Amino acid sequence: MKYKRLRIANYRGVDATEIEFETRGVTLVQGPNEVGKTSLGEAIRILFEHPDNASNRHVKAIRPVHQDAGPEIELEAESGPYCFTYYKRFHKKPATKLTITAPSPENHTGRDAHDRAQEILNETLDIDLWKALTIQQGDAIAQPDLANQQSLSAALDKAAGSVPTEQAEEDVFESVTEEYSRFYSVKTGKEGKTLKEATDDADRAESAVSEIEQKIEILEQDIATAARLQSELPSLTKRETQLREDLVEHAGVLREIESLEGRVSEATLKLESAAKTVELAVRDQKERTDTIAEVENDERKLKELAESSADVVASFENAEKQVADAEATSTAAEQRRKEADTLADLRRADVDHYKDNLFLEQLGERKERVDAARKAAAHAEAFLEDSKVDDEAVAEIDSAERNLLAAEAKLETAAPNVKLLGLGACELEIDDQPVRIEKDESRQVTIADQLRIRIPGQLQVEIAAGASTDDLTQQVENAKQKLGQLCRLAGVDDAQSARNAFDQRREALRNIEEKERIESENLRDLTYEQLAEKLLRLEETVPAYISSRVEQPEMAADLEVAKSVGDTAEEHRQNAHSDWESAHDAVIAARKVRDELGKSNESVRIELSSLEKSLEQHRTRLENDRASISDDQLNSKALEAETGHGKAKIDVGTAKAALTDKNPEKIKALAETAQSSLETAKARREAAQTELTEVRTRLRIHGEEGLHEKLHTAKTHLELVASTNRSLFRRASAAKLLYQIMNEERDLARRAYVAPLKERIERLGRLVFDESFQVEIGDDLKILSRSSGGVAVPFDSLSGGTKEQLSLVFRLACSMIVAEQGGMPLIMDDALGYTDPERLRLMGAVLAKAAKECQIVILTCVPERYGNVGTARVVSLQ
Amino acid sequence: MRPPFSLGEGSAPDMTKECAGKGEVTEWAGSGLTPNRQNGERIHMTTVRFLHTADWQLGMTRHFFSEGVQERYSQARFDAIRKLGQLAKDEDCSFVLVCGDTFESNQVDRRTVARACEALKEIPVPVFILPANHDPLNAASVFQSSTFTEQKPDHVKVIEDTAPLEISSGVELVGAPWRSKKPAKNPLHELLETLPVSGPMVRVVAGHGVADAFTPDKDAPAVLSVDELDHAIHEGKANFIALGDRHSATRLGAGDRIWYSGTPVSTDFREDNSGRALVVEVEAGNVNVQEHVVGDWRFTEFDHVDVNGADDLNNLTRTIDAIANKERTVVRLRLFGGLTLGLRVQLDTILQSAADLFAGFDVRDDDVVVMPDDADFSDLGFSGFAEKTVSRLRQQIEADRSDADQARDALMLLMRLSGGAA
Repeated sequence: MKYKRLRIANYRGVDATEIEFETRGVTLVQGPNEVGKTSLGEAIRILFEHPDNASNRHVKAIRPVHQDAGPEIELEAESGPYCFTYYKRFHKKPATKLTITAPSPENHTGRDAHDRAQEILNETLDIDLWKALTIQQGDAIAQPDLANQQSLSAALDKAAGSVPTEQAEEDVFESVTEEYSRFYSVKTGKEGKTLKEATDDADRAESAVSEIEQKIEILEQDIATAARLQSELPSLTKRETQLREDLVEHAGVLREIESLEGRVSEATLKLESAAKTVELAVRDQKERTDTIAEVENDERKLKELAESSADVVASFENAEKQVADAEATSTAAEQRRKEADTLADLRRADVDHYKDNLFLEQLGERKERVDAARKAAAHAEAFLEDSKVDDEAVAEIDSAERNLLAAEAKLETAAPNVKLLGLGACELEIDDQPVRIEKDESRQVTIADQLRIRIPGQLQVEIAAGASTDDLTQQVENAKQKLGQLCRLAGVDDAQSARNAFDQRREALRNIEEKERIESENLRDLTYEQLAEKLLRLEETVPAYISSRVEQPEMAADLEVAKSVGDTAEEHRQNAHSDWESAHDAVIAARKVRDELGKSNESVRIELSSLEKSLEQHRTRLENDRASISDDQLNSKALEAETGHGKAKIDVGTAKAALTDKNPEKIKALAETAQSSLETAKARREAAQTELTEVRTRLRIHGEEGLHEKLHTAKTHLELVASTNRSLFRRASAAKLLYQIMNEERDLARRAYVAPLKERIERLGRLVFDESFQVEIGDDLKILSRSSGGVAVPFDSLSGGTKEQLSLVFRLACSMIVAEQGGMPLIMDDALGYTDPERLRLMGAVLAKAAKECQIVILTCVPERYGNVGTARVVSLQ
Repeated sequence: MRPPFSLGEGSAPDMTKECAGKGEVTEWAGSGLTPNRQNGERIHMTTVRFLHTADWQLGMTRHFFSEGVQERYSQARFDAIRKLGQLAKDEDCSFVLVCGDTFESNQVDRRTVARACEALKEIPVPVFILPANHDPLNAASVFQSSTFTEQKPDHVKVIEDTAPLEISSGVELVGAPWRSKKPAKNPLHELLETLPVSGPMVRVVAGHGVADAFTPDKDAPAVLSVDELDHAIHEGKANFIALGDRHSATRLGAGDRIWYSGTPVSTDFREDNSGRALVVEVEAGNVNVQEHVVGDWRFTEFDHVDVNGADDLNNLTRTIDAIANKERTVVRLRLFGGLTLGLRVQLDTILQSAADLFAGFDVRDDDVVVMPDDADFSDLGFSGFAEKTVSRLRQQIEADRSDADQARDALMLLMRLSGGAA
């Protein structure tokens, strides 16, 4: 279809407007808001969709705002072979008019015109696609719904070079999918409820069969068991009877054996009693013999002990004497040792006294030296306290003196000199200072300024130096003053006194230093106070020793003699100690020997007493025993007992022989075996009978359950289920294969069919995006994603601008494809509102390119947006 | 010799006949003498006329029945008992002898036993039942079940041992009951070894088991030797040996004295003469055996039916149509051939219709190959992916891979879903 001209009047806010369209290319309809641009697109749709008398909300909405007139729409267009003008007026005086000029002229009015227009539209246009390609304000961002648009599909099929898909095939595919979904999940391909239930049915049927089979097997086993038990029971009963008879026979013999066993046990008891009597008699005999032996033994031991104890007493007494001797020797030695100790101590005290005396003298001298040094140092410090002539002062004074001398020398050299030569000794005054000049003494006086020499009472010579020596004289005076000043500061009269004072100062310093040395030398490791204390103590102790010492022996004359006498006394003491120790050891040894012998003596004494007591007891007991029964009587009693025992022994032998003849062990064993065998046989028979009863009961219960028919029924059911399932699974398998293949083929066809659309979109898109631009188109003919530079971004994740551009490109591509089949105009109502200026420029190129193949109508209030669409017919609405 | 079998009180039918059928005493002619008594002595021989049947297999179920048929079939077996009673009455039989496998198993449902007892009440003559391999006299014997012992009519007697039962003066019945399913030797042979010659008595011997003539496993323990049975007849140990086990009425051995009665209601396809009972008239020198049809159930097998084209399908339809009594007929078809998809779908339609009619319709069509041809799909008007799907499936079939069958099924499904021939 192509629009050629559209006129609307009394339409919403528009009184009247008419536009001529560019049939192949861009028509740009521009104008401000509310001038009626959007109404143009809407008007075309309303013209075709609604009869003139329609009163639905769409039609009501287009009524003019300010006047009471019917909205009019008139469109001149081409569609397929048809060229026509289509006119409608709604609401007021509704009218419809269709004038067809080609291929053959036709004129229609009223409903007939509406229907004919519908026919032409249906015949030549895919109405859905036509609607889908119109971009209303605001929906530019969304993709058009193009799935199942037949003209697009046909165009795409043609473009793909494939056979167009008939609706019939889609219907079949739908049926196939439905059939497949009866058995499998279309989404996951997993088995569905029907197949699962079928499998479960088969499992249940199988387990039902096997359950009954099991029951039958148990039944068969019971039948076999019953048969076996029935055949076993008679023989078990017979065996039981036989054993009972055997047991009766054994019981008779056992009674006889029991009687014989009674006899044996009686005789055995008698024998045991006789043996007991013998045992008692023998014991009494032995006890008597033992008592006699004990008495004899005690007597013998007593005698032996009495003899051996005499020696022990003698040895003990001797040892006691030895101890006494040794103790006497030890006491004497101890006395000597004490005397030697006393003497040696005295001699050592004497030596110490002499040493202390000597030490007293030395300490006194050392103290005196220290005291002297301390005194000198104190003096020196006092001097230093007053002396101001230190190194610096003396140096300054020396320097001032040298300056004075130098100044004087200069004055002397430069100033006039007066040489005085004594012709004889004479007294004179120079500058009022009395001076004596001896005979032949020469004295030169420099005249610094003026000089007055007066010989008192005789002569006064005044000599003036004149102007040239004034300076020098002044310098000398200055130097003198300086020297005088320094000397005053140092507290001395002149330079020499200063030097003397300085020498004294050095002496004082040396004295202070000397004090340290002397103290160190004489105090050594003591403080002065310790030294003084020691000295004080010695001064007390030394004279005290003399007064307190014993008179005899006399004290040695001096230290040396005292030392010698002391050494001798010490030697004596050592010897005395040694002697005393030997004597003391001898005492200990003797005491040890005496103590040991004492112990032996005591034990012998105790033993003797004990033996005497024992002998007494044994003698008493023997006497008592004999008084009770004599030795002879005891002996005859034992003999009697022995005879009785021999007789009882013979009786037992006789009884046992009688019992052995009956072979009791064998008989008992046989009887026991027979008894236990009987019990076993009885138990076996009873068990067999019980089992048979149980088996019969079971058989009675289960035998009539109809297991046979149940099994048959279950098997039949199983077979039925199996057969049904075979058929079901076969059908499922067929449906699966068919679905899979058909789905694959359909997808392949779809992909082929989508290819031209994709190619067209990408060709246009590359004008806006880059050269790597690609899109993925889904089965529903929607853009799934856009790739650029190899990176795919889902459509929904793209920016608003890009979505808008892509959607427009997409619509343009569709229009271009469909254009080849007669075309489909694309109306854009203020699209590209989200697009930036650069992209707008590029989109202009896209529109220009598309416009070469299809009709594009752009409605906009912002004409600048579309400044780059190339050649366009511009229609301005006011 | 035991005392004559007592029928107890109540309406005891007179089971003794002086002579066969009409109560007459038959006088033996020379030729009527038993082979071992050819001493020229003239003997008054008694004649007996009885109904020989076996293999009632009450409680039998068949897996190939259509839904609901099993119940009808089971009922038919009970009804057969009543028919046998009527036949015994009509044919003047002294008694009915059931030679084994009365019940399908000792473990049949008590309702089956009860219904059997109920039907037995309608037989107006004494009934002798021989326990056999399906219902042996073991500890679980159905004949000792409370239901049977309590509900059994008095004129029904289970043969529990080999003691001769005097039916009437000069007529005795000796049975060889089975005590287990798998005896070491057939009880009949054990019986015949010790059985004295019958002398002047008419002796009917009842046994059960497969005869060596009908089994490849001739040395199996319980197999009957036809020669030995013939020999027993020749020795005069029996005048007639009534057998059970084989479901088709069959005469055995050299003479006319050894018979399988067959089952009164057919049970399987392999039976060529089932649904019968025998009316036997025995006297020492003569035997007259008449087969009577009792059951109307049929098992029909077509073991090779070619289906290679539309004509074959028409023939098949006609064959199926021609079968009468369809609701009591079980059909087994073995089909061979190759069909196009369209014809295969037609075949399925034919088979489905038939299955609805017959008591059982067992089709073995594994050997029918479906080879789709172009015509199968030309009407569907496919041109796009559906056509490619068809093409791929056909390739799969032509490649004859393991999944060819699946591809055939898929194609047939596609045809059905797209409203083609299916």
